[in-house]
Amino acid sequence: MDPSFDDVWAECEDLFVQARQRLTTLKSPQPAHVVQASVNALFRATHTLKGMAGMLGFPRFSQAAHRMEDIFDLMRQGRLRSTDSLIETLESGIQALESGLDDLRRGRPEPDDYLQALRRQLGELEALARPPDGAVLDLTSLLDLPPDALKALSDYERTRVTAVLLAGIPIHGVSIRLDLATFDERLRSISEAAGVQGELISTLPLEMHDDRDGLFFLLLVAAPALDLPRLGVLPGEDLEVMELADPARVPAGLKADPGTPAMPAQPDATGAPTSPGGVPLDVEVLRLPAQRVEALEARLMAVAQVRDSASLVLRQLQAPDVERPMAMMGEIEAGLLEVQKSLLQMRMVKVESLFQRIQPMVKALSRDMGKPVRLSFQGGNLELERSLLGRLAEPFLHLVRNALDHGLEGPSERVAMGKTEAGSLKISASQRGRNIRFDIRDDGRGFDLARIEARGISMGLLREGQLHSSDDLHRLTLEPGFSTQERASQISGRGVGMDVVRAEVEGLGGEIHISSEPRRGSLVRLSLPLSRAVVGCLKVRCGQQAFGIPLSHVLRVQASPFALLGGSRVEVLGENLPMESLQACLGLSEPVGGQRLLVVLRQQGATADTGLEIALGVDEVLGRSELLLRSLPELAQAPGIMGGSLQEEGILWVLDPEALMGLAMESLMRRVAGV
Amino acid sequence: MSETTLLLHTRAAGREILLRVADLREVVAFTPVTPLPSGPPGIQGVVLHEGEFLPVLDWTAIEGGPTRQGPPMAMAVLRPRLGLPLDGLTGTLESPEEDLLDPAEGDPWAPILAGLCRVGGQDLALLDPDRLLALLHRLRKAP
Repeated sequence: MDPSFDDVWAECEDLFVQARQRLTTLKSPQPAHVVQASVNALFRATHTLKGMAGMLGFPRFSQAAHRMEDIFDLMRQGRLRSTDSLIETLESGIQALESGLDDLRRGRPEPDDYLQALRRQLGELEALARPPDGAVLDLTSLLDLPPDALKALSDYERTRVTAVLLAGIPIHGVSIRLDLATFDERLRSISEAAGVQGELISTLPLEMHDDRDGLFFLLLVAAPALDLPRLGVLPGEDLEVMELADPARVPAGLKADPGTPAMPAQPDATGAPTSPGGVPLDVEVLRLPAQRVEALEARLMAVAQVRDSASLVLRQLQAPDVERPMAMMGEIEAGLLEVQKSLLQMRMVKVESLFQRIQPMVKALSRDMGKPVRLSFQGGNLELERSLLGRLAEPFLHLVRNALDHGLEGPSERVAMGKTEAGSLKISASQRGRNIRFDIRDDGRGFDLARIEARGISMGLLREGQLHSSDDLHRLTLEPGFSTQERASQISGRGVGMDVVRAEVEGLGGEIHISSEPRRGSLVRLSLPLSRAVVGCLKVRCGQQAFGIPLSHVLRVQASPFALLGGSRVEVLGENLPMESLQACLGLSEPVGGQRLLVVLRQQGATADTGLEIALGVDEVLGRSELLLRSLPELAQAPGIMGGSLQEEGILWVLDPEALMGLAMESLMRRVAGV
Repeated sequence: MSETTLLLHTRAAGREILLRVADLREVVAFTPVTPLPSGPPGIQGVVLHEGEFLPVLDWTAIEGGPTRQGPPMAMAVLRPRLGLPLDGLTGTLESPEEDLLDPAEGDPWAPILAGLCRVGGQDLALLDPDRLLALLHRLRKAP
């Protein structure tokens, strides 16, 4: 693929992200002007995709994008109303284009029709929007405006006037006089303020036959009511407001269904309408090459190193008035951490955006296969790097397709087995040490291990007569070309997919693990390393070295009345727990005199009855801190170390609590064994 | 006409060695290494390089390497992101690729060398980063 098109691909991906967000917005009741803004954005996105596909030399993709653009055009003209089924069709359409783009990027040939699966629905929508006998409903005559002004309205503005009146929203005229020197800036400001309160349909220049100076404009604003002070019109700007059209005058036979949403705007604290995710819909979005952010991060690290050197020099000076500059160094440190966190934030994206991609596909597959599904997500608020998320989309789509196609039974089969009619598909994300873990769990039939074994033997991947563990057999499904399906189904079972998933996950430095129970369901677990994260830690000191222990696993910090050596037992909240020195866990020399400070760790998500708890002896507890964690490259990975964080005193190692508990247990067992 | 390769002539671990310039990201001044508790064999610790942790080779873990190492003056950063402590830099030279000789029999460094290069009547060892990485992986897996 020509690398000079990398930016074009990246922009296409961005457009799909925006399109999904806008479609999500349309799923819940929104003020009419928010709906309109979303539809307009979708129209623009598909229009741009059409052009880009043409530029990349994919004419069929361009045609498909054009068809979707037409549907959005019909919506923005008010000729198609936003309904659940319409949004579902549009989501499937966008999904089909997005998958198509992924395929093109991987060098696969163009299909005849990207939207083949949606032909019937799209045809119905186009037929529904077609005006009877070529007649187009136009209610602009209801506007109380002179004929010249009416003539100035574009076709699009006419359709919007008609649509909002049919939806029962009045149209207001806002007349203003603006100074010649500043009119462009003022007009933009007042237009934006009007747009927040409702839909700004048009901005018409007016010719005034009086002796007043300035330029005159009439803003056509559709809104249930206007809050005039919030328009921000200045005292000399001769604000006048009039009601231009009353929806009550629309003939009863033409009025829209009473269910049409025409809710008042629900602006956020800044007054801007927001998407369901809380992101303002009309904020300016900047696209930057990732390398530029990386270069900035590297520069920041260099500045931090200079700061460290300066700190060291200050301490060595031993001047009497060094306290003040040292305090200032502390402020610089805090500021640098904030900037580093902000930069990190720029590279991060919520897992929720991955879930947003999965949801419509599950819905469509569930409908096509006749398998009702209860889909649930957990951990959408976790964040991971955008680049990682982009590469995870394809594996996830494979896994979800497989779960629905092979895992979940049909409703009658489920009922016969005593299960609920609707299958369950749970997708969760959680942070485990230096990894982010995704679990895809279904309550279907599980893997047919006997069949997998037979297939493995017939393919020469397993030896007949040998004992194969459940793990071996599950892992076999990740081998290239492995499939137990005799024939490929429309959905999956082509023998490609799981190996693609494995390759992608392993390419990211992660692992995949599959387990299942017959008739109970399956679990596919992906563990992926996080390269950067902000982790709340308890800072402790052992010998001359400081360490961070993630607070997620710290149950309690406790002081012992007397010094303890590793291998002792301690009472913690009424429980008798094993104690090990942190130094012993990490292969460092244990203090001869023992340790009095204990950090009690508990496995994440475990309760007192179920999980491992252990007390770690440390020399000093330094306090808690948010640390910017950088992962270690593979060559430098060490047991029990999750990563490092640059501090004034050098690199502070952040410990992996789960691994640390394992190391502590091993160390205790060695003590018992006397080795 | 034969293809030539640009080489960096350096001193490391008490030996004169050559590195292909194409295998290097850069050569930087040596900065103190932060040791890793229970770090993997062959890696003495990490330094911060371009905002990322860079593992630094421990020459003493390489068979035939020095038992103790003095303070290095520079570090070669290899493309596969590994830092090599260097005792000194001699300069650069060009050498025809096909003139490489096999390492001397019994040279403990043979597993990490691409070959020997004759420079001014002296046979200098040309380091192969891929072989060096393979050796580090073997060391890590060793019981």
